[in-house]
Amino acid sequence: MKPLSLTARVSLLFAVVVAAVLLITGVLIARAVEHHFADEDHQEMLGKLELVRHLLARAHDQADLDALSQELNDALIGHPGLSVAVIDNHGQIWFATTAAAFPSHLLETHEPPGTLEQWAANGTEYRGIAMPVPVDGAPYTVALSVDIRHHDMFMAEFRRILALAMALAALSTAALGWMAARQALSPLKAMARTATSISADKLSERLPVAGAPDEIRALAEAFNAMLARLEDAFRRLSDFSSDIAHELRTPVSNLMTQTQVALARTRSAEEYREVLESDMEEYERLARMIGDMLFLAQADNHMVVPHRETVDLADEVRRLFEFYEALAADRDVRLVLDGEAQVSGDRLMLQRAISNLLSNALRYTPSGGSIGVRLASDGETCRIAVSNPGPTIPARHLDRLFDRFYRVDPARREGGGHTGLGLAITRSLVEAHGGTIQAVSGDGMTRFDIMLPCRRPAARQEG
Amino acid sequence: MKLLIVEDEPKTGEYIRRGLTEAGFVVDRADDGRDGLDLAMTGGYDLVILDVMLPGLSGWEILKALRAAGHELPVLFLTARDQIEDRVRGLELGADDYLVKPFAFAELLARVRTLLRRGKQAPAAEMLAIADLELDPVRRRVTRAGQRIELTPKEFALLELFVRRAGEVLPRALIASQVWDMNFDSDTNVIDVAVRRLRGKIDDGFEPKLIKTVRGMGYRLDDASAE
Repeated sequence: MKPLSLTARVSLLFAVVVAAVLLITGVLIARAVEHHFADEDHQEMLGKLELVRHLLARAHDQADLDALSQELNDALIGHPGLSVAVIDNHGQIWFATTAAAFPSHLLETHEPPGTLEQWAANGTEYRGIAMPVPVDGAPYTVALSVDIRHHDMFMAEFRRILALAMALAALSTAALGWMAARQALSPLKAMARTATSISADKLSERLPVAGAPDEIRALAEAFNAMLARLEDAFRRLSDFSSDIAHELRTPVSNLMTQTQVALARTRSAEEYREVLESDMEEYERLARMIGDMLFLAQADNHMVVPHRETVDLADEVRRLFEFYEALAADRDVRLVLDGEAQVSGDRLMLQRAISNLLSNALRYTPSGGSIGVRLASDGETCRIAVSNPGPTIPARHLDRLFDRFYRVDPARREGGGHTGLGLAITRSLVEAHGGTIQAVSGDGMTRFDIMLPCRRPAARQEG
Repeated sequence: MKLLIVEDEPKTGEYIRRGLTEAGFVVDRADDGRDGLDLAMTGGYDLVILDVMLPGLSGWEILKALRAAGHELPVLFLTARDQIEDRVRGLELGADDYLVKPFAFAELLARVRTLLRRGKQAPAAEMLAIADLELDPVRRRVTRAGQRIELTPKEFALLELFVRRAGEVLPRALIASQVWDMNFDSDTNVIDVAVRRLRGKIDDGFEPKLIKTVRGMGYRLDDASAE
């Protein structure tokens, strides 16, 4: 079943609550009114009883009693619903107004005297009281009753109006609740409309935040922040594809040009060999780039560290120094290692990560400078800092250094083994180990800091 | 030396076969997994080159079946993906080496030769010599035309590799792996600079020049005057 809309739920809840409250109130009012009527009847009858008793108290013999009958009739005139009966000590009705009909239980068990009773006779509701009254020393009983048909009619009408009012109130509350909920939720609808219209080419759109209630504003702001992250990732990705195209264009156009020139006329075997050799260099460049890009694509699909062991970072750095020794000597650059640290990780991956940083540092260190690798560990986090003298990198470039193909100076395209993916690969490798990397630059020094958890992370979040 | 290549991509398979044949090997080729396994079991090969993705049986399954049947011949596998999991899995299953596509043919050739040479290497104590260059692996001394040449330990290791494999083209990646144990696509500039510095010590001022650049492939040490 389709779940009810929020608006419907809110209005339904309003209606139910209001109806329940009104129902309870209505029942209480109806009971109070009824009780009030009963009380009023009781008081009236007690008054009349007092009158009858007073009259009876004056009678001392049969003649007095006979005269009293007329007096009683007079006293009770103008009370159409009221009936009075006086019963003597033998159970005989001594005096009764017309239409008086009393149930026997009222006359026999008037304990305590004057208790209000209610009964029905011939389709009419009555209330009545009875009380013993001594007449000339004999225990007579006086009974009174009122016809409460008009009360009942009033109560029925009262209940009908009450029910109608309650129904109307419940309905109008539901309607008001519906309107209020719709009004309150209308920013959500606006957000949904905007969200529907957002597609890959319109990622710069944002949900309206101004004027939205607090609860919805938090949602809209979270949604907008997500859009901003998506937009950024999307922009980087699309930059990446255009960069790939750009990077591939140069070697491919070299290949085409030199091959076409070679084919334009017949050449000597030596010349053909030269073309093939030159082609080979471009192919190698392409192959390297493809290899690096595949590696990164894999890294995007949560790369795992396949083979963990305890890696002595100082050992690895020394081995890398041996590798870069010739290049450093050639450029008159010194390589300096300081400190030590051990981490749990894949030796080959960590070696590659540090190797890329060294290769990068060697490219920018001026002749006579020295590249420092400083290792430190506090038992929790291992820090690998690779620093080199070189031109200060403006702060706005520092974060993007790890983007694929990102170059501080776009005009600078390097040949050799550099695909422009080295730092991106380093970051992926570090992140696969649960670490972070950042670059700082200033006062003619650039430093890359890798922070790695020393021990194997207890439970790594996958995917 | 008899080699088997199991590769289903016709152009790749054919070029590898041709290249290896021209390098002096006897080469058979199978283009699906089942034929490949049958041939490998019965053909008496010295080495098998296996593609991982094959119709019929995968390279892994062939490798497993071969090892289960007790065949210890060296296996080099080719994988299309640079997946570290692939590397680990292949080596666990008993492969001897692997190459990630796209690879350079010179690289494949050099690795095939390395695998075939394994266990048959000349004793380390033996003096090595080519033209007037002499190399003593035990005392780690090098002389050229009787003159003592001072080399750093890595320069010595590089020269020893060249001399032991004289006449072979050694690709840069192979050099990085054999001399420095760098087994990933590292900075190739480093190899060029290291070779250039080695040349400066053993070739500058001497004739004939021993270390040659083979463009697009790598480096080769040989004595041209001896041919």
